[in-house]
Amino acid sequence: MRVQLALFASLSQYLPEAAAEDRVSAHAQMVDLPDGTTVGQVITTLGLPDEPRIVFVNGRHAPDEHTLAEGDRLAIFPPVAGG
Amino acid sequence: MGDILRVNMSDLSITREPLPEKWARYGGRALTDAIVFAEVPPDADPLGPENKLVIAPGSLGGTTGPNTGRLSIGAKSPLTGGIKESNSGGTAAHALARMGVSAIIIEGEPEDKLGRYVLRLFADGKVDIVHRHDLAGLGTYETVAVAKGIEAAEHRMSEKSSFILVGPSGEMGMKAAGIAVTDPAGYPNRFAGRGGLGAVMGSKGLKLIAIFYEGLGATEHADKDAFNAASKKFGAALREHAVTGQGLPTYGTNVLANIINEAGGYPTNNFALGQFEGVDGISGETMREITVERGGNVKHGCHAGCVIQCSRYYVDKDGHYKTKGPEYETAWSLGADCGISDMDAVAELDRECGDLGLDTIEMGVTLGVYMDSGKIAFGDADAAMAALKEIRKGSELGKILGDGAEATGLAFGVKRIPVVKHQGLPAYDPRPIQGIGVTYATSTMGADHTAGYTITANVLGVGGNVDPLKPEGQAELSQGLQIATAMLDSLGLCIFVAFAVLDIPAAFEAIGEMMSAHTGETWGADELMGLGKEVLTMERLYNDAAGFTAADDRLPAFFYEDKLPPHDVVFTVTDAELDSVYSFVPETAAAMGITKPGS
Repeated sequence: MRVQLALFASLSQYLPEAAAEDRVSAHAQMVDLPDGTTVGQVITTLGLPDEPRIVFVNGRHAPDEHTLAEGDRLAIFPPVAGG
Repeated sequence: MGDILRVNMSDLSITREPLPEKWARYGGRALTDAIVFAEVPPDADPLGPENKLVIAPGSLGGTTGPNTGRLSIGAKSPLTGGIKESNSGGTAAHALARMGVSAIIIEGEPEDKLGRYVLRLFADGKVDIVHRHDLAGLGTYETVAVAKGIEAAEHRMSEKSSFILVGPSGEMGMKAAGIAVTDPAGYPNRFAGRGGLGAVMGSKGLKLIAIFYEGLGATEHADKDAFNAASKKFGAALREHAVTGQGLPTYGTNVLANIINEAGGYPTNNFALGQFEGVDGISGETMREITVERGGNVKHGCHAGCVIQCSRYYVDKDGHYKTKGPEYETAWSLGADCGISDMDAVAELDRECGDLGLDTIEMGVTLGVYMDSGKIAFGDADAAMAALKEIRKGSELGKILGDGAEATGLAFGVKRIPVVKHQGLPAYDPRPIQGIGVTYATSTMGADHTAGYTITANVLGVGGNVDPLKPEGQAELSQGLQIATAMLDSLGLCIFVAFAVLDIPAAFEAIGEMMSAHTGETWGADELMGLGKEVLTMERLYNDAAGFTAADDRLPAFFYEDKLPPHDVVFTVTDAELDSVYSFVPETAAAMGITKPGS
């Protein structure tokens, strides 16, 4: 399945190499994943650092156990805040 | 405990009086509130002689405690019509506290309506007022340069000087005018921005307050060793927490742009959309990239003792200082809310607002409303700049824009006017982030994200998790944060310490320990939160007397009616829940023995 993957701030560096046509923006690109892949499995595959993170699937908070579906957008942030 | 410096602009007299015992526990927001509550009639004309501008460092101001250098400025607000406290970073709070000044009260109004005055405080305790008409109409940057030149010629300048000032917008009495405070490098780029306090200062004929604090050391403590231990514990917690220790110092506050956009709560084109296509152009990541490439500073504190270091400077293509690295609120208001996706354009607009002495939140919201009227187009940065130039000219259009979002929306017949209690909404749409809607609606300050920053638990996973899209739990979340914030603002603590305080118990303990060691009184959790309730109670009673009712604790109708994409949601927290947020007021007022302002 095709999923849009977005990584921000200090996690940007973990975005895999992507073909030009797969790049969506500075922080996002399309990736191919096996059906039934969970958020946690993506995090493990990418080798993201073991620290708290904020995960959204389609703009809503999602736990690591969340199973992704075709066309989803998965966005992951390190702990950030401001105001 | 220091003194109150009372400056009467009617006869240009200055008196120094000890802080009354009844206010001994108060600093910062608590003290500006207490003075406004006691001395400014709720029906006073905000720009008339009855209003008073009160400037106070927090209770921990002047100490070496981490992040204790916030400066509170209070008055009756010309924008909201209620009580106002707006606080700023910069160097002035520590400087005043080290001079033994707990508060400056500016009262009356000058006989010479066109007069411009400078209040000067010297390290040896001398205070004077000088007439300085040559500063009339100058932008904030030029004002500081000219004032420095004069003082340098009189051999009074040193590195240790701090300025509090207004730009042309304040002199012209505009309701979007803020008060600037200089940062450690002397740039007038820190602001007590909200609520039109710059217009109050301008109405007093006061252009500038200069504080020369060379040679003054940190204030003394009741128990120095205990204070140092608590201070160390507090600093360690701030460094340990991922947000205050890493996220904020690396990217600054604008790191929020992408995450709030992701959550669908990044108000775009005057709150028409919840996501901005051009967010990449104005995000914190992009700002950092540009700044690093141009050799700008990307990490410093806005005051001595800051361990978070979220400040940065934005530089032009040649590497020259342009403005403070636009904060998240500014990059949003002058960016996404106006459909502008170019960081350099945003920085130019920010510099212009800063030089005019305008609140960037109110002005960005105002420009968004103006664009929504069709007079200029969304995304047209040149037209936005031209509109700001009208403010500098003081033209008819400029005077409307300078009075803020509501004045502009009414003048041009705009349907969506995003204000509460006449003050423009900050950078989070309350439909997909409902907790912040509770804060906007109920805060005594008008729409103000800092008053109860529910983005923590709603979006950022700090201090727990409360689903932002549902109404449940939002009133309780906002209430707790409003009380805690009122306390932090009174101590002079930067509210960003809250990110660590909400997650690390030792950080909260350390605040009480610092206060106890500093004052010699007992400050535990109950006393700290009790102080927060007292602050909000004074504010609420003042606003009641100024004519506010439950109807003022609501969001504009369109937030209840127009679904916001991408989540297609409206604000659903009930009126009853909104009305529950200040349920503690009667009991706290009774315990304080107050009923109405002046009592």
